[in-house]
Amino acid sequence: MIWRRYQNELIVLGALLLMLSMYLYKQNAMSSQSGEVDRVTQSIEAINEVVALKKMWADKKINKKIEKIKVLIPASKMKWIKKNKKITARYTEIKPSELNKLITKILNTPVLIDKLDIEKTNASYKVEFKCRW
Amino acid sequence: MENSKELLLVHRSMENVELSSPVNIMLTPQFYTLKKELLPVKYAYQAKKIAYALFEGLLEKEGSYDFLVSQEEENWVFIAYDMEKITAFLKEKGFKEGDVSKVFFAQQSVEKFTKPCLINTKEALVILDDTVVLVPLGALGTDVSSTLNFDESLTPKKGVSLEGISSSIFTMKQTVMFSLVFILFSLMFFVEGLRYGGESQSTEEELQALYTDYPSLQSAYTREGIVDKYRNIDKAERAKRDAVKKLSSMIFKGVTLTSLSIDQKKVKANFSCSSKKIAQRVENLAKKAQFTVTKTKLKNDLHLEVTL
Repeated sequence: MIWRRYQNELIVLGALLLMLSMYLYKQNAMSSQSGEVDRVTQSIEAINEVVALKKMWADKKINKKIEKIKVLIPASKMKWIKKNKKITARYTEIKPSELNKLITKILNTPVLIDKLDIEKTNASYKVEFKCRW
Repeated sequence: MENSKELLLVHRSMENVELSSPVNIMLTPQFYTLKKELLPVKYAYQAKKIAYALFEGLLEKEGSYDFLVSQEEENWVFIAYDMEKITAFLKEKGFKEGDVSKVFFAQQSVEKFTKPCLINTKEALVILDDTVVLVPLGALGTDVSSTLNFDESLTPKKGVSLEGISSSIFTMKQTVMFSLVFILFSLMFFVEGLRYGGESQSTEEELQALYTDYPSLQSAYTREGIVDKYRNIDKAERAKRDAVKKLSSMIFKGVTLTSLSIDQKKVKANFSCSSKKIAQRVENLAKKAQFTVTKTKLKNDLHLEVTL
């Protein structure tokens, strides 16, 4: 009957233990939820990143965009070689305004620039451009 | 359960006790003050509120009194008792912690005292004017052959808990208060815990929707491989374009681009400037844009270079 002597303490202790266990349950739920959410959020971010990067650097409409570069400068000033997913283009005697347009177009097209050489010859420019996608 | 326990009559002249199990005790009028009043109140709690005023002048000033209130026909019966003094007496008589379950007062069993109840060889409990009183045996005359057998059948329904004799740190009031607070917090933590469990569901659903759209990206290994590949491409190509953008911002009146070369590792450019002042301005801009600047043999010409 010793427990009867300390029944008040035992009741308070029981309630305290219940509170502590519920607190641990909450903390556990919180940390496991935060870990799970972190994992899921990371996966979502990675997928979104892959999708965005692929959309940019593996653009399905890239051929159309390349075609726009091709028609920018008159064919008489250009030598255009297209092989699979590679382009080698050489331009001669292009004016500064044409050079501006060409460079802006190239830079705005999502291709991997392997080489871009520009050289001023008198009042015009000579350009060599190699890219792939 | 409590009423089936042994009932012990406690009086001033009692012998010391040594108990093996808890008992209920009944106190003789030596331990309480009784007052009966006809009051215009309906409930016991209302009567209890005015109890102290009723006993004014009857109780010792230094005592700490509690009141037990009950109704006997039209009258309200007030029993004033000092639990500290009762506890001290019980300790003195050998009662230990946990020995006393409930405390009752003789007056509570007034209707059961049909005969005199002897408490020792000199005194007995008897009923006088519906009140249990302690009288000397001499006052009863010579006929004391028929006496009341004191046992648990005299146990009243309602008793008082004896807190003072236990070694509890907490009183019952504090116990209830603390327990309620802890239980309230327990409930709050539990509900909060449940809520956290449900929150991750929406993000999981979003992920599942993406997996449905892009089944090939379900594997983290595949994803990492693709991300690494495109991240490298993105970084290198952005660096090339960024370098050209910076170089183009250095072309203004008096500055001519004479050559530009971009490959996988470097971006190089040559500028021809019309004056020393302009060349200096280009040089400052180039240095600010993290380009390495070198002066060429030609007057006011600059060679700019940056590693990707």
